[in-house]
Amino acid sequence: MYKARHAWGFLSIPLILLLLFTFIPSIAALALSFTNYNIFRPLEFVGFANYIEAFQDATFRKAMFNTVYYWLLVTPALVVLPIFVAILVNQKLKGVKLFRLIFYFPTLVSVVVTAILFSWLFAEQGIINYFLSFFGIDPFGWLTNTVTVMPALAIVTIWQGFGYYMLFYLAALQGVPKDLYEAAELDGAGFWRKHISITIPIIKPMIFFVAVISTMGAFKEFTLMLTMTKGGPLDASTTAVYLVFKEAFTNLEMGYASAISFILFALILIITLINQKLLDQNPNK
Amino acid sequence: MEKFKMNKIFLLLLILGSILVIVTACSGAEDTNADTDNSKETNESESEGTNEEASGELSGEIEFMTISLSPTFDEYLNGVKAAFEAEHPGVTVELRDVPFDQVEQIVLTSASSGNMPDVMNLNTEFVKKIGANGALVNMDEAAADVKDTFYEGLWETGGVNGTVYALPWYTTTSGLIYNPELLEKAGFDAPPATYEEAWEMSATILEKTGAYGEVIAPDMQLLFPKNGIDILNEDYTAAAFNTPEAAELWASFKEYYDQGLYPLDIMLNQVSLAELYAQEKVAWWGTGPQLFRQVNDIAPEVYEKSLAGPPLEGEAGKQHANPMNIAVAESSESKEAAIEFAKFVTNADNQLEFGKLASVLPPVEEAVNDPFFEEGAESEDATIRGRYYAAQSLAAAVNMTPATEHVSAVNEIIHTAFQRVILEDVDPADALADAEAEVNSLLQ
Repeated sequence: MYKARHAWGFLSIPLILLLLFTFIPSIAALALSFTNYNIFRPLEFVGFANYIEAFQDATFRKAMFNTVYYWLLVTPALVVLPIFVAILVNQKLKGVKLFRLIFYFPTLVSVVVTAILFSWLFAEQGIINYFLSFFGIDPFGWLTNTVTVMPALAIVTIWQGFGYYMLFYLAALQGVPKDLYEAAELDGAGFWRKHISITIPIIKPMIFFVAVISTMGAFKEFTLMLTMTKGGPLDASTTAVYLVFKEAFTNLEMGYASAISFILFALILIITLINQKLLDQNPNK
Repeated sequence: MEKFKMNKIFLLLLILGSILVIVTACSGAEDTNADTDNSKETNESESEGTNEEASGELSGEIEFMTISLSPTFDEYLNGVKAAFEAEHPGVTVELRDVPFDQVEQIVLTSASSGNMPDVMNLNTEFVKKIGANGALVNMDEAAADVKDTFYEGLWETGGVNGTVYALPWYTTTSGLIYNPELLEKAGFDAPPATYEEAWEMSATILEKTGAYGEVIAPDMQLLFPKNGIDILNEDYTAAAFNTPEAAELWASFKEYYDQGLYPLDIMLNQVSLAELYAQEKVAWWGTGPQLFRQVNDIAPEVYEKSLAGPPLEGEAGKQHANPMNIAVAESSESKEAAIEFAKFVTNADNQLEFGKLASVLPPVEEAVNDPFFEEGAESEDATIRGRYYAAQSLAAAVNMTPATEHVSAVNEIIHTAFQRVILEDVDPADALADAEAEVNSLLQ
């Protein structure tokens, strides 16, 4: 009882903050999704009209498709690539700390600065096209082409995110017993065999964790779209959250924007539950 | 048992939260209703205010929100505040400056909490959006006494559905900054005077120098009115841009794009035209002369050799002016004082002083007639000479922004239709017809 009181005492402040800044606004947004709220006019209850409108809206469908597409581009890369990098920088080599810092550095750069840098790289008169011109290749609009815009944005996210996830894997690698590697070496296992048979199974819970975190990040991405492409061209880079922002703050359709938010929330929840289920089935968790 | 208790507490907190939400939502609705009621009672309060004004006893505290003017213009703004407070001892003015890219969110957030700034510096599109929703004071009525001091074409800037909701503050029309070296390399000794001429020169400039000439800018929807094609009909209820002239215009733009005369990323707002000009990748840049200094910040040597010319003309022969506006919140508790302050900030004297400081133009006729704006015709400095040309074109300038609360959506529909022409090879006439149908369904 005494311990419980103390626990609640410590928990109360974050709980109140969560309540004020997360739960209450979320519940309020859910309530607003059933209205035509636009800040200035009186609230009017519209039932499921916003949700029906969303599913009938071609832009919304495109935004959901783009969101899932972006997730498929970004999450596998952010789950797999950092494992290799973490294994490499986990070796006891001279100057390895410098490499860790270099790989982590992009995470420290603000998203807006990153967006500006990559806008210069991808511009039609930009650096990538400049180098391609040496091989006689005409300038290409990486961000103005409906096919290449999402992969280009995904590259930016992967560049910026993989150092962050590398840290998670580095932490997980500290928990892998060294004697297992020694035993494997005695059995004649090479570099790849050791990592496939020992490292990967042991850090599996961390892989699932990274998958969940990067999934949520991918579904919520919007800063790059806002700063680099404005959702274009032809809505090819409009993601669900970017659409929420546009509907809420450009078109003042707060009710509709709230409805889109909750559809996205449901989607993330389903994917997280599936991930959780997979994790629960994992004997190494 | 313990777990059960914890769950109970958690449940209790959730219920408490829900109650709070309902209470908040209801109070929000009441506030909004109150706002609407306020707007209905405008006439009543206005008559009270008029009595106050007649007796010279304006009073109250007003907040004046400006956009990205601090700290550069702090001295000027404090001077305006002090002069107004001296004239109206019962009124206190509080200055607040907000960043350009956050102004809309700040106003929306403060509006939702019932705490909008009394007097606001707003961009034109935003004035239309919130003015149509009853958030701003009707300036056709509240500032009828000063209406004639503004240029007629600019007074309408804050207009939506036939009512004006803001006073034009500082403004500019375009000038043209150009790179004489690039033109010379291409065999030209003068910049273009019209859009038609500009496109004709662009092919040669690209061929001889590798630089672009004319490009399609992010505000490409304005090329309709600049070429005599209305975006909306006279009563703002339907699209008016689906014409053979518009189809012809877009067909020519498609042809220019296929010839590689302009890149798409400028129109999509992905790269800055100022940077491209500073890198000598475009031969000229048509924009407000107050922005010419950006070139100087990026590449002083390019600015040094640049010259300024009159803005390019379309078929209509008219220039677009896009003033910053001063609006008063309908929900202001000191509405009369706020209206008076808005008029004070935008009067000829204050506009002239600000115009001299900020290289912008006052939309007030008396201020533009000052000899200051006659200077610069022979200046070697691109900004000063550009300001001269811009001032000359101000009297005939109009604000070409579609006068509807759906202004952003209308602009986006036009942009999207044009992108389909460029990227998906859709016939311009079909794209325009689709865009027309979309705009019509939005406005009805």
